[in-house]
Amino acid sequence: MSYIVSTRHVSKEYKGREVVSDVSMNIERGQIYGLLGPNGAGKTTLMKMLLNLVKPTSGEIEMFGEKLMPGSVELFKRIGSIIEYPIFYEKMTAVENLELHCEYMGFYNKHAIQEALERVNLTSVDGKAVGEFSLGMKQRLGMARAIMTKPELLILDEPINGLDPVGIKEFRNLLRILSKEYRMTLLVSSHLLGEIEQVADTIGILQGGKFIREMSMQDMRSEQTEYIEIVTPHCKEAAFVLENQLGVSNFKIIGDSIIRIYESRWTQQELTKTLVLHDIGIESLNHKHTSLEDYFMQQIGGGEKHA
Amino acid sequence: MLRLIQLEMKKQKLGWYVRGACIATVIIAFFMWLMPYTEDSGDPAFAGYAEALSAAGLFVRAVFIVFASVLLSRFIIDEYRNKTMNVMFTYPVQRKRLIMAKMLLILSLTFVSMIIATLIVCLVFLAVNIRFHFIPGTPEGSVLLHTGIRLFVQTLSAAGVSLIPLYFGMRKKSVATTIVSAVIIMALLSSNNQGFTLSTSVAIPLILGILGFLVAYLSFRNVDKTDIL
Repeated sequence: MSYIVSTRHVSKEYKGREVVSDVSMNIERGQIYGLLGPNGAGKTTLMKMLLNLVKPTSGEIEMFGEKLMPGSVELFKRIGSIIEYPIFYEKMTAVENLELHCEYMGFYNKHAIQEALERVNLTSVDGKAVGEFSLGMKQRLGMARAIMTKPELLILDEPINGLDPVGIKEFRNLLRILSKEYRMTLLVSSHLLGEIEQVADTIGILQGGKFIREMSMQDMRSEQTEYIEIVTPHCKEAAFVLENQLGVSNFKIIGDSIIRIYESRWTQQELTKTLVLHDIGIESLNHKHTSLEDYFMQQIGGGEKHA
Repeated sequence: MLRLIQLEMKKQKLGWYVRGACIATVIIAFFMWLMPYTEDSGDPAFAGYAEALSAAGLFVRAVFIVFASVLLSRFIIDEYRNKTMNVMFTYPVQRKRLIMAKMLLILSLTFVSMIIATLIVCLVFLAVNIRFHFIPGTPEGSVLLHTGIRLFVQTLSAAGVSLIPLYFGMRKKSVATTIVSAVIIMALLSSNNQGFTLSTSVAIPLILGILGFLVAYLSFRNVDKTDIL
């Protein structure tokens, strides 16, 4: 299997404090890789290390199969990136900024600029300095800049920040197009788990600088716990019936009206029938998956523990 | 490299620099005109043409060293502070070349404007002198030539020296440090001790100029290994 990005035991220390510790991450060609983690987990530092902006204290990084050295620059022709937030020369217009980018990248295609701006739906901004743009517009322009040269690898740090709901949806589609049509490999970090869940092929979770898990979304889905959620006004009675009549022990009461059953011994019909027979009102009864968000909370230990 | 310098010029609008340089030149010329009126002890302000023109050159160099530090702040320090340097450093161009391009641009801008300003101030002074006779007699061609050569060498050296503030400014990426160190360097170079200044001879300024370039290089020698936060 060919990895486009591969880190081996990479650590970074700032003033004696480890912000990234012992991370071994592998990104396959053509994948969308979602990098998750709470604020300050080291996502940005890790991404900066891939871009050679920050040097690892120990460990090795391989990009496109070659070891990343302090003076490596040729590989940047193949990478597009947004780190932290999109940065531009604020006094110049969007087009001027993109022209400059083309020059430095050594990329000459007159149509690319207009094409990229249309891709991110950022037209009719002629003559306006980037300094007057809103965060959402800058984010779109940053995206345009990153994809303009059709790089093989896109590194996007929190690219959804500042986008409106429509923008987020467009962005999601854009990621899919880049991945499917242009065969780009994408590394995307975000705290909006729902968004990552919808597009990522593989996720990696960072917490406190440590790499907790790396797994494909497919594996994650199969590992995700399924449960049946019952919404009822008679929560206590229902719990009693479940425990004593049906022998269900692995369930959890959430709030005043929700019960989650983590056993699959009983079908939905059987549960409904038994509860109704005992005069317990049911507002709804559904089969559910834990979302990536629940999974994430579980992994970083910041959320509720399931029974 | 030339392409990189052109890109820098495209990025940094230079209108303000040209305007500032013009205003400074006018003020220096005016100042030179007033100089002869300041001494009331009876001694003339300038003993001869050579001294007068040297003084003009000294003023111009002092002012443009400070201008250069503003250029250094805008081109290099500000790019670090605005984090546009983060973007620059993800381009397939060696970082040293990027910064070298900026330095060369600043060096040539400073040198060219120093030469032009010196020329203008000297010509204005000579023209005014014809009318007011601060210095008796007409200037001899050999004196003018000798002074001209010396001014040229001193200007070349000053352009090199003008890069030194980068070394101090880069340590904390501070605009204030850059400009303050330029003012201090200016004060040192133009300090006058019984008629002997550091720039009187030719050798000292030349060494200083080369030293200036080296010191500036030192400030980004490790740029490939440094973290960009």
